[in-house]
Amino acid sequence: MSRLELKDVRKSFGTTEVLKGIDLTVEDGEFVAFVGPSGCGKSTLLRLICGLDEITAGQMAIDREIVNDVPPAKRGIAMVFQSYALYPHMSVAQNMGYALRLAGTPKAEIEQRVLAAAKVLRIADYLERKPRQLSGGQRQRVAIGRAIVREPRIFLFDEPLSNLDAALRVEMRIEIARMKERLGTTMIYVTHDQIEAMTLADKIVVLNAGRVEQVGSPLELYNAPVNRFVAGFIGSPKMNFLTLGARHGDSYALPGGEIALRAGLEGATTIGVRPEHLEIVEAGRSGTLGGTLTMTEHLGSDTYAYVALPGTEDLLVVRLSGERALKTNQKVGVALDPGMAHVFAADGTMLASARPVALEAA
Amino acid sequence: MFDLSSRISKIVFGGLLVVIGFYLFFPIYWMITSALKNNAELYQIIPTFFPHEITFSHFWSAIAESRLLVYLGNSLITSGASATINTILAIYAGYSFAKYRYAGRQPIMLFMLSAQMFPFGLLLISLYPVMTSLGLLDTRPGLILSYIVFALPVATYMLYSYFSQVPDELIDAARADGASDLRIFHTIVLPISVPPIVTVFLYSFMWSWNDLLYSLTLIVSEDKRTIGPGLLLTYLNETNADWGGAMAASLLVSLPIVIAFMFLQRYFIQGVTAGAVK
Repeated sequence: MSRLELKDVRKSFGTTEVLKGIDLTVEDGEFVAFVGPSGCGKSTLLRLICGLDEITAGQMAIDREIVNDVPPAKRGIAMVFQSYALYPHMSVAQNMGYALRLAGTPKAEIEQRVLAAAKVLRIADYLERKPRQLSGGQRQRVAIGRAIVREPRIFLFDEPLSNLDAALRVEMRIEIARMKERLGTTMIYVTHDQIEAMTLADKIVVLNAGRVEQVGSPLELYNAPVNRFVAGFIGSPKMNFLTLGARHGDSYALPGGEIALRAGLEGATTIGVRPEHLEIVEAGRSGTLGGTLTMTEHLGSDTYAYVALPGTEDLLVVRLSGERALKTNQKVGVALDPGMAHVFAADGTMLASARPVALEAA
Repeated sequence: MFDLSSRISKIVFGGLLVVIGFYLFFPIYWMITSALKNNAELYQIIPTFFPHEITFSHFWSAIAESRLLVYLGNSLITSGASATINTILAIYAGYSFAKYRYAGRQPIMLFMLSAQMFPFGLLLISLYPVMTSLGLLDTRPGLILSYIVFALPVATYMLYSYFSQVPDELIDAARADGASDLRIFHTIVLPISVPPIVTVFLYSFMWSWNDLLYSLTLIVSEDKRTIGPGLLLTYLNETNADWGGAMAASLLVSLPIVIAFMFLQRYFIQGVTAGAVK
């Protein structure tokens, strides 16, 4: 049982407050991903949990034991660093056994635990090599192995895959997913890669400017973001935002057309629609937004169409399945199902979320 | 554009290298040929470029000169001791400046470096009475201390720039593994810092080995004299100037340093270029 609890955790460097009161509970065995734009404080939060930096205010507890002033090694936490941070003068075996050696573990037990971890990570053949003689993927495995041999209560990962090339990243992502299944240990994972967060995490924590914007399962965040920030941050390509214009009853003017929202949404100023909930139709059809198709991107499985609407600078992104031949620089209509629109108030809070098609069908 | 592989640039650069090479190596060449000439040829008004007749008599008399061995020993003791103490101090000071944040860190560093702004001859004027009042005049510890005064700031700065490049994540990883600050420094940082440390040791060693002024001023006793002033006073004094002997003796006493460099130059080069390529 390894439960992590943060209560109003704050961190300041000098006069700048980087974390402005974080409340968060990570349950035993849960895989939690921290996501957010650069500088949102996600790495700082991870360092606080690890114990590398001190908390300015607030309380942190692991299994109900308050660990605010407990040094890193005593917290039962192991961290995998972005740059791997392998000790260059030590062999793979020495790297993995360093923490155990410091803790005074008997030599035979160190060897046995290192070998066991190395076998799992398929680096048993490289135990005598130095880090510089290893490839990027192997180094990453050693870094993970160094964390595993300590048998920690909580694993911390600080953007562990960002230094790998795309193919290796997918491979290691699957590896980490399997490790999570096998070990069942609580894991906290910082990433800026949404795919990693969406595929690995049981729970995603979206951070922005030192605050938690939303905590929830990947699909919760995708389908029901609590505000405009989360809506825009989760999902790729990004959600399209359209500013609502003049109102006639429940109808609002939009760039290039008009939309009827469900009744009783007072104070709505913006709507957000995901690219897959839009469709390109012929120009001039009633109930659609008229615009100019400026560009298309063909990804094989999908086609992204970029449409310029009159009076806005941002291009509307439409996701079309399969290969669609479309002529650019022509007038088109964009069909929009009002039921799939997320509605936001002026301060960015969500007034109504979309009804996901899949859930509706079920 | 400027093409380095063109014939003209090859000629120009080749010519420049010859000039630089001549400038660097002519004194050494002159030392060797002078040591091999007999006295008659050595003092000819129009000097000869190659010795007409090679003689080793200067070398034999230099080897027979027992005082040289004493001077050499003294130099090894003072240079070795000052370089060792200097390197140890610079290692800890440089690491502290590079990896810890505390009040007064930058002023202390600037203050240390400011010692370098004074001509070292000038500082001798103030160092002399200090050594006198401490009773360190004409002693080896006095000389060793005064060498440290001069080599320490640069040595500290050299190691400071190296330690600044040691990734913080490496130190964080060791801390997360449960190592104390001193443990991290001794088991992680020091082992990967051997090249710059050897560089700093050699730098400090050369500084005191090459010194003439301080040793000449602070040491009076014959038995504590180091090699620089020793050579000067033995071969070139008010009454006679034995250039052949001075050259032969200089060549002989240079040998230990040259040999040491041959073994350590790998580290020295690595140290000087450390950080240039990652």
